[in-house]
Amino acid sequence: MKYKILAGAMILAAMSGTPACTELEDTNYHAIVGDGFQPTGEDLAALLASAYIPWRQTFLQWNGVARSQMLTADEDVIPARPNGWVDGGIYKRLHQHAWTSDEDNVVQGWNRTYVGINACNRVLYQLENGIDLGDQHDAIVSELKVLRASYYYILVDLFGNVPLITQFDVPDGYLPDQASRKEVYEFIVKEITDNIDNLSETVGGELYGRFNKWAAYALLAKMYLNAEVFSDGAHTEWEKCVEACDKIIESGKYALESKQSQCFITNNENSCESIFALVFDETYVTDWNAFDYHLYSLQPANQQTYNFESAPWGGVCAIPQYVDSFDPDDARLESTFIKGQQYTFSGDVLYCTLGSYSGQPLAYINEVPSIDESEEVHGYRWGKFEYATGITNRLSNDFPVFRYADVLLMKAEALLRNGKADDAAAIVTDVRRRNFTTNEAKATVTGDQLQAETCYKYGRADNTTTTTSDVSVIKYGRMLDELGWEFSQEGRRRQDMIRFGAFTTMDWFSHTASDATKNLFPIPNAQLLTNNKLKQNPGY
Amino acid sequence: MKQLILMLTLLSISLAGFAQHKIEGKVKDVANEPVIGASVYPKGSTSIGTITDLDGRFSLEMPDGFDILVISCIGFETEEVDTKGKSEVFVTMHDDTKEMDEVVVIGYGTQRKGDVTSSVGSVKKENFVGGAIKDAGQMIQGKVAGLVVTNPSGDPTSGTQIALRGRTTINGASGDPLVLIDGVPGTLTTVAPEDIESVDVLKDGSAAAIYGSRGTNGVILITTKKSKGNNINEVEYSTYISTSVISKKLEVCDALDYISQIENGQRDVAWDKGYSTNWLSEITRIPFSHVHNLSFRGGNTKTNYALNLNYRSLQGIFIHSDNQKFQGRAEVNHSMFDDKLKFNVSIIGNQTNYSSTANGGSFNSYIYRQCLIHNPTEPVTNADGSWYENTGLFEYANPLALIYETDGEQDISQTIYSGSVVFNPIKSLTFKFLASYDKGSQYGGYYETTNHISTLRDGQNGFAGTGANTGYTKMSELTAQWSKKFKDHNVTVLGGYSYQKVQVSNEWIQNHDFPTDLYSYNNIGVGEALKDGKAAMGSDRWSTNLIGFFGRATYAYKDKYLLMAAIRHEEASQLAGTDNPWGTFPSVSAGWVLTKEGFMQDQTLFNNIKIRAGYGVTGSQPSASFLGVSLMTYGDYFYYNGRWIPSLVPTQNANKDIEWEEKHETNIGVDFSMFNDRFSGSIDLYDRTIKGLLYYYAVPSPPNLYTGTMANVGKMNNKGIEVLLAGTPFKKANFVWNTSVTYSTNKNKLKSLSNDLYETTSDYFVTGWIQEPIKTESHIVQIGETIGNFFGFKVVDVDDEGKWIYEDKDGNLVGYDEFDHSFENKKVIGNGLPKFYLGWTNQFAYKNWDASITQRGAFGFQIINVARMFYENLSRQDWNRLKSAYDPVFGKTQLNSACAEEFNSYYVEDGDYWKIDNVTIGYTFKNVARYIKSIRVYVSGNNLLTITGYKGIDPEVSVSGLNPGYDDRDKYPSTRSFVFGASFNF
Repeated sequence: MKYKILAGAMILAAMSGTPACTELEDTNYHAIVGDGFQPTGEDLAALLASAYIPWRQTFLQWNGVARSQMLTADEDVIPARPNGWVDGGIYKRLHQHAWTSDEDNVVQGWNRTYVGINACNRVLYQLENGIDLGDQHDAIVSELKVLRASYYYILVDLFGNVPLITQFDVPDGYLPDQASRKEVYEFIVKEITDNIDNLSETVGGELYGRFNKWAAYALLAKMYLNAEVFSDGAHTEWEKCVEACDKIIESGKYALESKQSQCFITNNENSCESIFALVFDETYVTDWNAFDYHLYSLQPANQQTYNFESAPWGGVCAIPQYVDSFDPDDARLESTFIKGQQYTFSGDVLYCTLGSYSGQPLAYINEVPSIDESEEVHGYRWGKFEYATGITNRLSNDFPVFRYADVLLMKAEALLRNGKADDAAAIVTDVRRRNFTTNEAKATVTGDQLQAETCYKYGRADNTTTTTSDVSVIKYGRMLDELGWEFSQEGRRRQDMIRFGAFTTMDWFSHTASDATKNLFPIPNAQLLTNNKLKQNPGY
Repeated sequence: MKQLILMLTLLSISLAGFAQHKIEGKVKDVANEPVIGASVYPKGSTSIGTITDLDGRFSLEMPDGFDILVISCIGFETEEVDTKGKSEVFVTMHDDTKEMDEVVVIGYGTQRKGDVTSSVGSVKKENFVGGAIKDAGQMIQGKVAGLVVTNPSGDPTSGTQIALRGRTTINGASGDPLVLIDGVPGTLTTVAPEDIESVDVLKDGSAAAIYGSRGTNGVILITTKKSKGNNINEVEYSTYISTSVISKKLEVCDALDYISQIENGQRDVAWDKGYSTNWLSEITRIPFSHVHNLSFRGGNTKTNYALNLNYRSLQGIFIHSDNQKFQGRAEVNHSMFDDKLKFNVSIIGNQTNYSSTANGGSFNSYIYRQCLIHNPTEPVTNADGSWYENTGLFEYANPLALIYETDGEQDISQTIYSGSVVFNPIKSLTFKFLASYDKGSQYGGYYETTNHISTLRDGQNGFAGTGANTGYTKMSELTAQWSKKFKDHNVTVLGGYSYQKVQVSNEWIQNHDFPTDLYSYNNIGVGEALKDGKAAMGSDRWSTNLIGFFGRATYAYKDKYLLMAAIRHEEASQLAGTDNPWGTFPSVSAGWVLTKEGFMQDQTLFNNIKIRAGYGVTGSQPSASFLGVSLMTYGDYFYYNGRWIPSLVPTQNANKDIEWEEKHETNIGVDFSMFNDRFSGSIDLYDRTIKGLLYYYAVPSPPNLYTGTMANVGKMNNKGIEVLLAGTPFKKANFVWNTSVTYSTNKNKLKSLSNDLYETTSDYFVTGWIQEPIKTESHIVQIGETIGNFFGFKVVDVDDEGKWIYEDKDGNLVGYDEFDHSFENKKVIGNGLPKFYLGWTNQFAYKNWDASITQRGAFGFQIINVARMFYENLSRQDWNRLKSAYDPVFGKTQLNSACAEEFNSYYVEDGDYWKIDNVTIGYTFKNVARYIKSIRVYVSGNNLLTITGYKGIDPEVSVSGLNPGYDDRDKYPSTRSFVFGASFNF
């Protein structure tokens, strides 16, 4: 019997030795458990940040929206290089409009953009459910709705027919329906117009890098300018586009920089031309490939030109036909490209280190053999954004998504298309003037000139094939040229070419005209697999 | 001294009895050696008894009414002697090794092999794989049917991969079997291989269910070498030295190839740098490894000890690839109050130290890649002695500089304290309390000098990283067992409680821009980058616990009908915050010993036939915690009102419904032995279904925050047959030949991928990832199909220009330029899971010679030869490639350089292989000298010969996860090793 007592005592002792005998460990040391976390007004900045950050990520990270807009168009190309850049053929497929629904830029363009939309929906939900912002409330809610509309602007442009989701608390298993491109267009316009009056009119300060009223008008103007394309022909809104631009112009809060290059310097955050910018800093924005035009375009030896921390690994360059379209007196020809002999920071000649030009001077020429072959010297490199001396693999320049010159040229294009060519020409001339200081007469364009054909010599132009495209199908070709010269490297050429009917009809470099279905990207295959309510875009 | 007092005490107890007649005797074993420390007591009495002395002698006063004397000793069968009318007895004890009475370790106890009703594989030390082995896994490779042990890497710090009956979980807390060392959780490397007595593997769910979630991938029970009670002292020293070579070299182009390619116009002249370097030879060495093991075991039946010290100094085939390990184990057992109270205290210590050429890792396999892709005409060094580097090429760095311009090591310590108390208040009742505390810590440092590519190309100006972690696993278990025999009925009931807690904290710092290389990583604050906000540091901590209640009952009738039922009720902290964190895991199994039936009594062919059947449920909690709740974390920075602030972002799609994944398993088996136990075997059939498979399922976004959610969506089935046959075809006094064969199959099928929430989604998903530039998934998982299907383009030919010709989705042949490289045109082009495995072991003993040969193979599967996919492509000039890149494709012509790297069927090969894995030949010198009992010397080789059609390095590739058969191009090559060893018994 005494053993049994002893045994019982043992069990008791053992049990009491583990006091939490059925209690689960639920302390989280590295994340905030959302269920018990009630954000307050003080968390507003951190929550807003989570809604804005996806913009810079979807736009500029590897195979982001900017690449979808540029590498598919007639200004830029990544040919095979001695240091690679075949990358499974993705850049060639982009150039030749042969992309698939698994293409990285297609998948990323969808996923990263919806991260932004989901973040807006979540923060809006939190604002509706408890965060007290007092009299700021309406302004912040409206700002988030306009921000969300700006993400849909990316989607309506790339994919057209996408799910419109505005709720955070959907039931489990909810699969959203696909909206037509026209519905998406109308939703965006309504969201902006419904909310724009609540937005702040402040420029800069705490509104820098955010949607104030003027950034919202710029977005609205973009929507109206592209209304025909984005609504599949249901809407044409030239007058409304002009009105939206006039709101910004009449506010008097923005102006053109005296030199275009001022918009793209390292410390461009105070530019009077910047309306909505993606803000970068080499120390704080540390995403891989956050903003790396310098490494992405220049050759390795150029490290010594700028004393970069890292050696560039570049590949992207300007298509020679595009460079040829510039007027030789246009200051933008110099400021947009890096060309000719390259030197070290202290002025010594740099040499090629790779491929068949190894040991020869590194001097960029305006020739590229083809998408399938090129050497280090081939192609003018990107130089529009200033590359700061000694910078890391990330630039600190801010990236202007909407700038004042764009507002002026949107207005000009809308006027032109609405039969007011001369008024348009006057605005275009205003924008050109700062670029022709050596030959002021060339700054002036006339209404007739704007309605003339493009001077871009469309046609296959690589070492295998030469063709000529009929450029007469491009109406207002000269206006398209003007946009090309002004907005090089700003991640938008595809959109402009589509609006002018040039994107799928022209040949250039190693690209042969595709077909109209290529004006939209396919819905990513992974999304079709998980949501059977989605229908693939025509042609894929 | 204590022992002596104890013995005297016991003697005095026995003397205190009222003497009737005095019995003297001597106990010896079959070899005529005295058995020391055997217990001797009258049958039926627990208070009187003695033990044998150094000469095996004893003397005992038998009380009135007692005639039968019981002599027992660990390691021997218990003997009973009738002393009626005798004053002196001579007892011969027999080794306790009779097949059916062999003890098999099962969950929370042991069982006679004859009583086992579930599928248990057992390997004793005599049958371990010999030679230079890494861990306990390699030791039983090919020996247990259904246990797939793969040894894919030649890195001396890497272990083996283990999978039992196919994969049971993908995102469960652990994909590996539970490894228990004498009941305490550990790993296959926790104790030195030389210190292991036997390994038992619980294969089916009915056996493992008592361990609940921890047992879902099977249970491997490692029993360390114990002191045999009859010894006073035993000392054993064993050692071996070994070397190894790469098992197969990939043939890349050499300098002469470059020159002839330039002459043929296939390569630009600029790529000839004028030298001839064999990069792989430059980093390869003839390694020398040595291993020492010293063990002491001694004591008596009441108090005994075992000590083991082990030192392994291993070198890999590559420079700066090594591993030094010091392992110690000490164990003391003490039994008191007439064996009513037993104590065990054990300490295991491990110290591991190895060089690292990667931050936080061991040998950086990127160095190996660099050897393959490096231009063979480049020199290793410049004229001035500095490393030759070509900083302009992407992902390109001098491999020698990657080795010599880094400095790093990892230092790992582990100590496991464990103790148990067993209390037998009455004979039928046993209480056991087991507690263990496993404390581990690791510190590592790594530095890249200013001559490293990180400075030359990336401007780091010296890079340092340090990291440390510390953690513990605490476990306590309380069990109570009652067992009773009523006539023909034998009943055992066990109940228990288990609590386990794991906590890990770690921190890491990186910095660069150092004023000097002098400090290496030892003065990390000196670098500028942290001050500039350009370097990072971090720390984190997590803890989990697991709480279980369990019970088991076994019942045997006349040792003929056997029954076992067990249940475990368990909750896991990973499920905290979900709707139901508890899981219940029942099991039942039964056995029928045919040979005990009357109708079998007249036959002499079979010694034993037992038919078994069992059903059991085990489960797996998700590996990540907090999946059921939404989590927010401070993430990327945003510029707000003039300063940069961190954003607050959600990190996952929360899933409140997440719950235990359950594995339901049925096992039917038969064990038999025949011809006087000369031939035996067992056959098992199993069928396991995993319900509520945890997977990071692709979900639509929108509405989800992210495109993946962890959910219990899916059902998977594994079926298979396992056969073990063992026999002694030849047995004479001087010559014995033992042989055994294992065979196992596994058939896997995904049954469903939908639940109530996502039932409308498609019936497949793609998985696995092929690195850039290819950037696509390699595998498809489809309902109704097996795991491991390769998914890529099917090529059937090349055209005259050397461009691929494909078979498209409709079966049409399409040329490269016209082919739409889209998802729809991909096909299933192979499968990476072997259909069956075969193992064959032979052991020979001739006089003092012994020899063993272990062979094994895997059949019916394909491998994606990733090295060929990347290095047989001609589209880029900057990296070297395989010589075979210039072979005609499909026997026609070279691949056109316009064809970029892609995943197609041309790089899928049959993987079937047969390996002569280990051959060992030894000779034993007996009674060498006065103080040396025996010396055995041996030579051995591992991974000696592979018969395969596979063109890669080794067809024994990883078969884990959802992308089995993917032979990663950066894998540390496997090796062939040669061993000379000796062991001394004192």
